[in-house]
Amino acid sequence: MTPETIQIALIVLLVGIASGFLMHRSDFCIAGAFRDLFLFRKTFMLRILLLLVVASMLLFDAARRLGMLPFYPFPLLGAISPANVAGGILFGIGMVLSGGCVVGTVYRSGAGNVPAIAALAGLVAGSGLYAEIHPAWASFQKSSVLFPGMATLPQLSGIDPTWFVMAVSVPAAWLFLRWARAGLLSRKTAVDGYIQPWVAAVALALLGLASWVAAGMPMGITTSYAKAAAFLEALIVPDHYAALSFFRSAPLDVVFPSGYPLRGGPGARLDGIALIQFPLIGGILAGSFLSAVSLREFRLRFRVPPVQIAAGLAGGVVMGLASRMAPGCNVWHLMGGLPVFSVPSILFVAGLFPGAWIGSTMLKRLI
Amino acid sequence: MDITDASCQVVTLDIVGQVCPASLLLTLRKVNEIKDAIHQGKARLEVLTDNRDSVGTISEAVGNMGYGYATEKKEGHYVLSISAPR
Repeated sequence: MTPETIQIALIVLLVGIASGFLMHRSDFCIAGAFRDLFLFRKTFMLRILLLLVVASMLLFDAARRLGMLPFYPFPLLGAISPANVAGGILFGIGMVLSGGCVVGTVYRSGAGNVPAIAALAGLVAGSGLYAEIHPAWASFQKSSVLFPGMATLPQLSGIDPTWFVMAVSVPAAWLFLRWARAGLLSRKTAVDGYIQPWVAAVALALLGLASWVAAGMPMGITTSYAKAAAFLEALIVPDHYAALSFFRSAPLDVVFPSGYPLRGGPGARLDGIALIQFPLIGGILAGSFLSAVSLREFRLRFRVPPVQIAAGLAGGVVMGLASRMAPGCNVWHLMGGLPVFSVPSILFVAGLFPGAWIGSTMLKRLI
Repeated sequence: MDITDASCQVVTLDIVGQVCPASLLLTLRKVNEIKDAIHQGKARLEVLTDNRDSVGTISEAVGNMGYGYATEKKEGHYVLSISAPR
């Protein structure tokens, strides 16, 4: 336990607590943003997500130019392949069925929502299920990689990222001004302690930057679900666990400019991945719990239609699988990859739309 | 129609703990089911939900449909009263 390790864990924990609190107070539902487009023709949260992405890309690029970022782009961006789209579509279906994305599931669990807790269980199960198909999927990914060694548009084109940032943020800024004037960036509601989502969006962009500076990359949490499955399997079926190559992989392998090494993977070990993700998840749970309790709105309610708990569980399993197949989840791609113009993230987010449409169609029949 | 009218029947929809889109879908279905009674002032719909997002989206939706609504907070959940258009 070195001072650097404790420092990273503490900062990530604080980032998590702040994120969980803010997302609960502002109903920052990323799954809802895609789902409600198809279910109710609502585009409010999509505008907010655009604000989050643009704020992030501006902050990230400024930080890059100021030399604040330990790595650029960040590690684990992944390779460009059709797997990104396939993962996105599957993830879209899963997040709509389960009622929330990977973060929504965590902050709703922290507030006592039972379908969300079922979804959490599903996420762990789905991630564990992935380990069974990993050899086949990994070889499909390898054989379908485009432009090996490169992931972002700036890398592919050789053009400085700032040009891309300007090309998007200037027209986006004009859009935001128009929307703000028309009242399209704020929401009227009677709930206690409401924080407007646009405030949360800007704050989350800052928190993403804090994560990148302290932990080496923006927020990511889904590898931890694979780790949870790994710990369970290592305990219950150790021989089978030992035979799964997925859990032996260690894709994270970097060294900070300070010389501090960060290594890890999805296996049942307390490694670099555990260091930068466990405090984040714990923080989000704690932050949303604090938010709900301080509003006297925390309660565990079990009298929920069983079909919704089942949909939560099933959706969680699908999300767990999809987040290992893509790889990456909506938080990683929307809040981390998209702002740096990562092509895997662009493909993943593009896949979210048809996925959410399929999921919404299924959900309408279930409720 | 005065929502404290004693002859006004209160129809309760308890969707506490349910997932977010279910809250709006079920409320809209119920509203349409008893819309004649609401318009005539014979009934009002009380929706019980703990879903913060739904409080805003339901209010917006029924408001756009022309209904009157009021929100009240109880311990751990919200009560949305939907009544006849004013």
